[in-house]
Amino acid sequence: MAGFDLSGLTASFGGERVIGPLSLKVKEGEQVALVGKSGAGKSTLMRLIHQHVNRNSSLVPQELGLVNALPVFHNVFMGRLDQHGNWYNTVTLMRPFSRDKDKVRELLKALGMAEKLWIPTASLSGGQRQRVAIARALYRSAPLLLADEPISALDGPMAHQVMQLLKDRFSASVFALHDVEMALAYCNRIVGIQDGQIALDEPAERLVASDIMSLY
Amino acid sequence: MFQSPTVRTSFIFLAIALVGLLFADIAITASNPWRDLGNFFFGVVTPNFFSNEGLMTALLRTVSFAFVGVALGSISGFLLALVYRWLPVRILCAFVRAIHELFWALIFLQFFGFHPLTGVLAIAIPYAGIFAKVYSEILEEADPEPGRLLPPRTGVISAFLYTKIPDCWVQLRTYTAYRLECGLRSSAILGFVGLPTLGFYLESAFSQGHYSDAGAMLILFYVLIATMPLWVKPKLLPVYILGAPFFLGEGLPIVWSNVGRFFTQDIVPSPLRGEEGWAGMGAWLGDMFVNQAMPGIWNTVILTQVALVATGIIALLAFPLISTHFGGPVRRTSGHVFLVIMRSTPEYILAYILLQLWGPSMLPAVVALALHNGGIIGHLIGRQSSSIRLRSDAPSGLSRYTYELVPRVYRSFLAFLFYRWEIIMRETAILGILGIYTLGFYVDSAIQNIQFDRAMMLILITASLNIGVDVLGRFIRRKLALQTMPTC
Amino acid sequence: MALNLMRKLMVSSLFCFGAASASAETFVFTAIPDEDETKLVERFRGVADYLSSELNVDVRYIPVKSYAAAVSAFRNNQVQLAWFGGLSGVQARRLVPGSEAIAQGVEDQAFETYFIANTSTGIEPADELASLEESLQGKTFTFGSKGSTSGRLMPEFYIRETFGEQPDEFFSRVGFSGNHTRTLRLVEAGTYEVGALNFQVWEKELADGNIDTDAVQVIWKTPAYPDYQWTIRGDVNERFGEGFKQRVTEALLNLDDQALLESFPRSGFIPASNDDYEPISKTAEEIGILD
Repeated sequence: MAGFDLSGLTASFGGERVIGPLSLKVKEGEQVALVGKSGAGKSTLMRLIHQHVNRNSSLVPQELGLVNALPVFHNVFMGRLDQHGNWYNTVTLMRPFSRDKDKVRELLKALGMAEKLWIPTASLSGGQRQRVAIARALYRSAPLLLADEPISALDGPMAHQVMQLLKDRFSASVFALHDVEMALAYCNRIVGIQDGQIALDEPAERLVASDIMSLY
Repeated sequence: MFQSPTVRTSFIFLAIALVGLLFADIAITASNPWRDLGNFFFGVVTPNFFSNEGLMTALLRTVSFAFVGVALGSISGFLLALVYRWLPVRILCAFVRAIHELFWALIFLQFFGFHPLTGVLAIAIPYAGIFAKVYSEILEEADPEPGRLLPPRTGVISAFLYTKIPDCWVQLRTYTAYRLECGLRSSAILGFVGLPTLGFYLESAFSQGHYSDAGAMLILFYVLIATMPLWVKPKLLPVYILGAPFFLGEGLPIVWSNVGRFFTQDIVPSPLRGEEGWAGMGAWLGDMFVNQAMPGIWNTVILTQVALVATGIIALLAFPLISTHFGGPVRRTSGHVFLVIMRSTPEYILAYILLQLWGPSMLPAVVALALHNGGIIGHLIGRQSSSIRLRSDAPSGLSRYTYELVPRVYRSFLAFLFYRWEIIMRETAILGILGIYTLGFYVDSAIQNIQFDRAMMLILITASLNIGVDVLGRFIRRKLALQTMPTC
Repeated sequence: MALNLMRKLMVSSLFCFGAASASAETFVFTAIPDEDETKLVERFRGVADYLSSELNVDVRYIPVKSYAAAVSAFRNNQVQLAWFGGLSGVQARRLVPGSEAIAQGVEDQAFETYFIANTSTGIEPADELASLEESLQGKTFTFGSKGSTSGRLMPEFYIRETFGEQPDEFFSRVGFSGNHTRTLRLVEAGTYEVGALNFQVWEKELADGNIDTDAVQVIWKTPAYPDYQWTIRGDVNERFGEGFKQRVTEALLNLDDQALLESFPRSGFIPASNDDYEPISKTAEEIGILD
């Protein structure tokens, strides 16, 4: 089951309601883009959705949450920690198994950074770190992707390559995107967020960029 | 993983400790250690607060010595910090802090005897050296910009008071308050060599197996330290510092001629005092080196390396106890209590207790050093780990520990560990007084045989060894680019 | 702030040390900490009261944590009288010219050290130490204090003389328990297999029923040697008046409070002289404790 159907979503911050109450239903095959100006509540909504679908998703949080001291391999491998026993994970920390190495290397190749497999994450650039977080989500390969600004630090061609990859690999996904063009190009449904409420919910083919700009 | 310099360094130290274990004297020689340990814990849970008339006085003396010693130490340390750039000052400070409080106390006992000055100086002198170093580091890190923007011809003192002090005040205050806690521990320990503080009664109670009395003293001591935030208030501080000198006790009057005798005769190497002169020095030094210094250094180094790694292991195991990423509030509170007890119990007292229970070997010393220092480091990195924000899909359990937390805190963990390396060695040497064959054993033996020349020489050797490890520790921290705040 | 603090501090510490030096004319004595402190404090407070009433001066006993601390306090003139062991007395009198041994216990003329062993070792008592060589070799062994005559000097002397080896070469592990009571408890508990202690402590604990004789027994007794004595500084007459030394000596020799004597335990005190301890001095030189 790739999609979800959530209702009554609310979130408050410092006693003030920042989200909802709202309902959101995503079906298999849908690529949803959450758009809206910063502070509208996209990230909060992302977190809410993740809480509800729990571990049944691949996550790319905005702050990435990488472990700087670990090499790229382990940061990617962390996407599947819950699928192995403790002993397996602990051994991998010391000496990774070759099938995991192959798999991770292949993913990194698709993201154009195969040579960085054993580099400590701390020494990577912002764009490279973002791709490591994306590789982790891909490696986890849950049916649902939740990605909060996954391409904010990537340059043009790479951003397109990554969006295409994510679109192909997940049967359902929710992106928080501030780049309206990207949202229209790679998603088939646009949800506009304004003051913590859904202000727009249309299939992408019915919209042009200027329709969305009113939200900003 | 092994390419990482921090990991490689860790494994090198682990390997050294494992080799050290082969040579270390690790054994439980007591025939019934668990019964004794049981008796001890029974004593702690059935404390007897009314056994000893002197207990409250001892507590008062402990606090007084700590206040006077730390106050004197911080004032002199501050003045030294102002001229810390000057190399002789740095060397002097490194030297005085490399000698443990107990060694200072043993030295002063020989000429001031049981006068309060002995205890006060035993704390104040090494603390001055430590304060000087830390204060100067804090002052150096102050933002230099405000100073540059002052009007020309502003006086040095005004500039210092207006630009440096306000910027560093909080840090200076925090560190001094923290040091006061260390001072309480040092003060308690001084009782073990005969000053009228808590250690005096603790030693008696323990050596006679009066565990309920000892338990009462330990509990009072923990309460004293745990409630420090309640009774050490900035406003009350002048009252304490003014009042403390009156509660040091009278002791016995100083006979000043003893001071001259100590420096002009007692510590002059015996060949120089006698007819042999310099000709006899070679033999004298050689004999001391072969029979005392070398075995002492060997045992001190081995014990230090084993204890260092054991400390690291304890710290890594203990920090999840207080980390917000594991367990509920109940588990965390008990974790806090456990770590507070571990770090408030001076290693000297822990080692003394364990030696009584398990019999003599390096084991009680290793365990004592590891528990105390591991408790301190565990507390620090546990607190640090709580400030880490994990992704909402972060793993739980062991994977959270190994993948998310340990890699993130490992560098500061190593930084603290290497910072404490020199402290562990200083303590290791002093534990010799309890009968473990480290340098302190030979110092104590020389003092027992009234050979202060030997004792002094061995103390100097101990100090040089500490300075050496301090330099090496700093080198490794710089090599690995590790940074840390000082701990005591 | 800091300056202000310092000024206050200096003023108050002057007060403190001024107050401390006021009580100089108290006659202070100490004793080597050879047994449990509680017992010592009880015993020597009794002695202090007795001396105070006999001498008409304030008399104070101060407990110390080590034999060396007792010697140092005596040497530094912070105490004027001390109850020393054979070795500590010799050390002290060498360091303080003019000081004298003035009284010893009746039993101290012929003191002994007992070697004791935990019964689990199976070592049987013997008349000659040499015949125990095989059974003692490689055992764990504890002395009392490092500065003790009966707990260290004499047993070490006999071990070296009989076995021709240093104690730490002959035994597998050598420790210093700190005092005689502690030695007894450690061997009784089996923490050490063998130990050496003051025979008076053993006899008194035995009489008081404090020894588990199934767990520990005496395996060898040393030949007799002179031990404990009261030693006084040579300059007490200048401080406390003409004839003070004589008065202290007489007070000690006349001590007949049975309970107090029992606590030592001694049947009474008899005159002593520095020369009585020449054998101790020689032994200490032989094993290198004294230069």
